[in-house]
Amino acid sequence: MSSRIRNNIGKLKKANVLLLLGIVLALGMMIALGIGGGRFRFSEMILVFHYSSLSASERTILFDIRLPRILLSVLVGAGLSLSGAVLQGLFQNPLVDPYVLGISSGGAVGAVIAILSGISLGFFTIPLFSFLFALGTTFLVLRLGQIGHKFPLETMLLAGVAIGFFFSALISLGMFLAGENLHQMVFWIMGGLWNSSWKKVLAILPPIAITLPIVFSYSRELNAFLLGEKVAESMGVDVEKVKKILLVISSLSVAACVSVSGVIGFVGLVVPHVIRIITGEDHRLLLPASLLLGSSVLLWADTLSRSLLHPVELPVGVVTSLLGAPFFIYLLRRKKRER
Amino acid sequence: MNPHLSVRNLSFAYFNQDVISNITFDIDQGEFVGILGPNGSGKSTLLHLLSGLLTPRTGSISISGTDTRRLSRRKWSQEMAIVFQEVNRDLDLDCFDVVMMGRFPHWRRWQKENDRDYAAVQKAMQVTKTHSFANRSFRELSGGEKQRVMIARALAQEPNLLLLDEPTSHLDIVHQLDIMNILLELQKNSITIIGVFHDINMVAQFCNVVLFMKKGHITHQGMVETSLHAHLVEELFDVEFLEETHPYTFRPFFMPLSKKKTPEVPTASIHLICGGGSGCVFMKDFLEAGFSLSVGIVNQFDSDQEMAAKLGLPTIVEKPFSPITDDTLKQALLIANQSDYIFISPNFWGHGNLKNLDLALNLLYKGKKVLFIRESLSPTWDYTGGEAIYKLQQLLHDGAQAFNTISEVIAFIRIDRHAV
Repeated sequence: MSSRIRNNIGKLKKANVLLLLGIVLALGMMIALGIGGGRFRFSEMILVFHYSSLSASERTILFDIRLPRILLSVLVGAGLSLSGAVLQGLFQNPLVDPYVLGISSGGAVGAVIAILSGISLGFFTIPLFSFLFALGTTFLVLRLGQIGHKFPLETMLLAGVAIGFFFSALISLGMFLAGENLHQMVFWIMGGLWNSSWKKVLAILPPIAITLPIVFSYSRELNAFLLGEKVAESMGVDVEKVKKILLVISSLSVAACVSVSGVIGFVGLVVPHVIRIITGEDHRLLLPASLLLGSSVLLWADTLSRSLLHPVELPVGVVTSLLGAPFFIYLLRRKKRER
Repeated sequence: MNPHLSVRNLSFAYFNQDVISNITFDIDQGEFVGILGPNGSGKSTLLHLLSGLLTPRTGSISISGTDTRRLSRRKWSQEMAIVFQEVNRDLDLDCFDVVMMGRFPHWRRWQKENDRDYAAVQKAMQVTKTHSFANRSFRELSGGEKQRVMIARALAQEPNLLLLDEPTSHLDIVHQLDIMNILLELQKNSITIIGVFHDINMVAQFCNVVLFMKKGHITHQGMVETSLHAHLVEELFDVEFLEETHPYTFRPFFMPLSKKKTPEVPTASIHLICGGGSGCVFMKDFLEAGFSLSVGIVNQFDSDQEMAAKLGLPTIVEKPFSPITDDTLKQALLIANQSDYIFISPNFWGHGNLKNLDLALNLLYKGKKVLFIRESLSPTWDYTGGEAIYKLQQLLHDGAQAFNTISEVIAFIRIDRHAV
């Protein structure tokens, strides 16, 4: 097409960024496979591809312990960052994170109830409770924030904050009453990937797999939101429908993440910001790039948390917050200087 | 043929407060309509209703004969686009991508941009002269450039009808003119344009139809060249305007006077004797002090006469470049006699206008209070060889009062009226 005003730099940039992030992620996963017991072994990293030459214990360590954990961190990182990017775009507010609709506190309340009540539905009791409560909280916030047929985003934000406070109080109450279960609750709330298993990987794979194509297909609508809701609507975007669909679908994958890993902070907040600085605000690139970077970030945070103070394992939520908060402050100050 | 846009009995209310009350109007294809009205008159709301961003309480809107209630959001956005005053200033997106967003109503989900999309974007960027920054980030642009990109974005929708809500309010005059000229260009391509503007003269210069809105009603609709007149604009804004003909475009041109239209009864009436432009400044001072005025005798086409005519003041006029005749003097006596005070502005005296001082003397003897500025007694004003000074001295001698400044004159009249 000779008449294009557009040069091809944009397209190339997009392909390059995604390719680079993909390579970084793949390499990271390989290296993380070789890390265990507080040290890195190149042989372990390579041996994955020689399944037959592995001993039974090596197979257990690589395939039943490290690999599911790596995959889980990649999936959770992807889910949180993608939802963070979507919600920040939707709310046009850079301080929004995936837990803005009260999902984290809802999930935590679910977990606390499961632990306190002693109900046992097998292995998945706590994740199931937490997932259902997280989703339930989202719908509650949506209902509370809804005015007529509209979903004004400010109201939604406030409803999310209010519900969050209420549930935090419930969680504190639960912890107060927990007695010997307190330890379990604290661990859950701090967030971590220590109980990773193939079951968990398979449990959160479907919600995240459903989320991806739907969210990506709304990239153009999210771009239109950048011009403001009014302009988006005037261009033919069904604003209320888009809000509803994106809020529900991203809540679904965040609830899934929370249910298997507890509350892991800062990944969903910071990663989209970093991508925006690198690539600009086009959601067609921002969304997949956030997903890839988020996976890498959580993968490395988890790898650090399990190997840094070996044999002590740090909660990954603590690691992401400890590293994420200063980094976020750095970004804020940088932005301030630009002005 | 159907009008392009047809609005019938349209009403809208926020919290039971009527913002648009039963509006009906038609706009033809290819018209450039300027909506004028004071703040809060419902202009913006009307545009929101027309673009479907708000749902009317009653009434209907038809585009080319099709009721908009039968249009899907996408179809509606293919028919009309809207540009707002405010834009997301920090948007970090290449301008090309911003304009391409305008293709949204033409896309299906998952559909990739095709040749038609690229062609539409290219055309939109050409018309708005934005192709030079296609690959630049939107946030790096100046305010005027941003607004042009937003217009390009709207044009990429390929609308037949373009709505603009104060698109030039934040821009300097160069960029305002840029935008208005782009709109004129669009009008030539028979796109119908409806814009809300603050600047009456922008509307007078560029639009061909004007729509007045006040308190949710349309108070006037008509062609700019034949129907945009000062008295209508004054009624609309409750401010007095001077109407001129633009010396270059021959369109009407409006200058707001420095005061609000004052409905109250004048506190005193003054007859102003002036000429050669000496009276203009006093007309403003006296009117703003709340006095009523009559003027004369002045020659036709004298700048005092023109100003008095623009202000609608009763004026006694002598033929151009002619000395004052006795007939005119008699006429002037009759009119000036109705005033409480006579004020003589400091102006040049020649044999042509010396009769104005006779007028003053006459009125003085009829018991009128004659006032002037002491500076008038200076010989620099006198081209009659002393006659004018003599008459002024006589006035002073027989009871006229001289003051140093116009504020003293006004203060005197106010106190004097109070004493009466």
